[in-house]
Amino acid sequence: MDPMSLLLVVILSILSTLLYIFIGILPGTDETATMAPIALTLLLAGMDPMLVLVWFIASIAAFKMADSIPVALAGIPGGVMAVPQVPDALIAKEHGLADVILRKGIAASVVGQVVAIVVSLALSYYIMPVGDWLRATDVVLGVKVARWFWLVLVGVVVLALTSRNRFIALISIPAVALVFQGLRAVYGKSVYISFFLGITIGPMMFELLSMLHRELRNSYVRKGLKEVKLLKVEKISLNPLKILTKEELTHSTIWSAVTSVLATVMSPVGLTTLIGDLLRESKKDRVRGAVLAYTVRDAIKNATYIGGTLIPLLVIGAPTGPMAAGPAAPFFGKYDHLGMTARDFIVTHYDYLTIVVMIFISTAIAFLVAYPILVKYSRALTLAVFRRVPAEALYGLFIAIVLMLSYYDAKIAGIFGTIIVSLVSGALWRLGVSLGVLFMVLVSAPTLVPLLMALPI
Amino acid sequence: MGDDEYYELYGEYVSLKELGIATLISSVIAMIFFSLAPSIANLIGTQATGLSITLGAVGAAIGFAISTLIIKVKRVVSEV
Repeated sequence: MDPMSLLLVVILSILSTLLYIFIGILPGTDETATMAPIALTLLLAGMDPMLVLVWFIASIAAFKMADSIPVALAGIPGGVMAVPQVPDALIAKEHGLADVILRKGIAASVVGQVVAIVVSLALSYYIMPVGDWLRATDVVLGVKVARWFWLVLVGVVVLALTSRNRFIALISIPAVALVFQGLRAVYGKSVYISFFLGITIGPMMFELLSMLHRELRNSYVRKGLKEVKLLKVEKISLNPLKILTKEELTHSTIWSAVTSVLATVMSPVGLTTLIGDLLRESKKDRVRGAVLAYTVRDAIKNATYIGGTLIPLLVIGAPTGPMAAGPAAPFFGKYDHLGMTARDFIVTHYDYLTIVVMIFISTAIAFLVAYPILVKYSRALTLAVFRRVPAEALYGLFIAIVLMLSYYDAKIAGIFGTIIVSLVSGALWRLGVSLGVLFMVLVSAPTLVPLLMALPI
Repeated sequence: MGDDEYYELYGEYVSLKELGIATLISSVIAMIFFSLAPSIANLIGTQATGLSITLGAVGAAIGFAISTLIIKVKRVVSEV
């Protein structure tokens, strides 16, 4: 690595960290909607995909550390991944432990990310040959099927079975696949980005359009302003090793290692919910259970994002899980100026050691920047964001970016396509289908639909 | 002021009119920047595709900044 690229790695990591601390603290910022478009923009702008990966890794570190800050201080999640932490935080807050969970969450994020990087990179190195096998294709019912497709199919069925509404989730797999392939056939190209942004903003669009319905509108009406109580925070030590107890550190380490691998095919938010709930129930003391669950969930958030990105990226070369098919999706897309996917560019132009070193440097820099800022100024930052950033401006920004990318994908028809994708996604979500199911269907649809059509029945 | 009616969306209180204004501002600036990109790309001799998306995103962000200044925040923060 030459000094120039090293300098770029440092600068990009710092910029990404600062931006995503802000996005992390902002309430309601969806991960896919905020991470994927920026990564895509950088890739399309011609930046070296390895440097975009560096940017992405630093953004995971900062975002997943910062999104629990408003949870600890006000019970408001800074991103979808922080939602499972809200009930833990409410219990902890009742007992005056807001600043305790705040610092434990920050420290656990560091543990989660570092453990996941070590585990994912080591595992990827050893199972690399499996990647070639998974990328090979077989002919099934006359359809060419890549072997990793079965991994995705099992993943999406498991995810559907763990959805709140199993029945609808299962039948929506082939049904939604037909919607995607139908639109792609009409557009005449394999559109991806505007569809997954359509899924991402689905719940918001569905609620928004429900408000335009005279009878449905009433359930959304609120009088007056939203009251937010922000708790005081004591001075926090800068030494992360003093913050976690031995039990919290052990659980954070073990579960980060396990979930980083599981996130290859499983949903990060599902894993964060599942493991955290198990730990909370394992404690007789309600408060101790909540603090432990909150802490370990913070570690798992970083771990699943890292594992869910790196293992599919380095080994499989296809987005096999909701993380890779969601926030990290731009890395699996093909770019004309590269002549290949961004992922292929990274693994063919850089040796493994360089990739490892760059990922470690970006993580180290992200934490060196984010940790002191969040420990010292988390309360002031949250206060500033809550007082100055109106929700309307943020939602308006999301919708504008989705509109632009839909237009980029398929002109005016693309905008209407995204509207129908978001309404279908929003309605299914309302009925209890996890959005992860829809992301996975988006990835598997090009194989799933031909298989469906080839069925002899 | 306390009697104003808002709608709860994603845990936040919003005014539908102001949400419409914010969306319009961000979208219009994004699309103007997006469509200007090919001529700018010609001028400086780079690829238009990447520049369109980049400029569009910058435009949307400028719209966000403007909306932040003109739209009132619907939260009241009390420090306890």
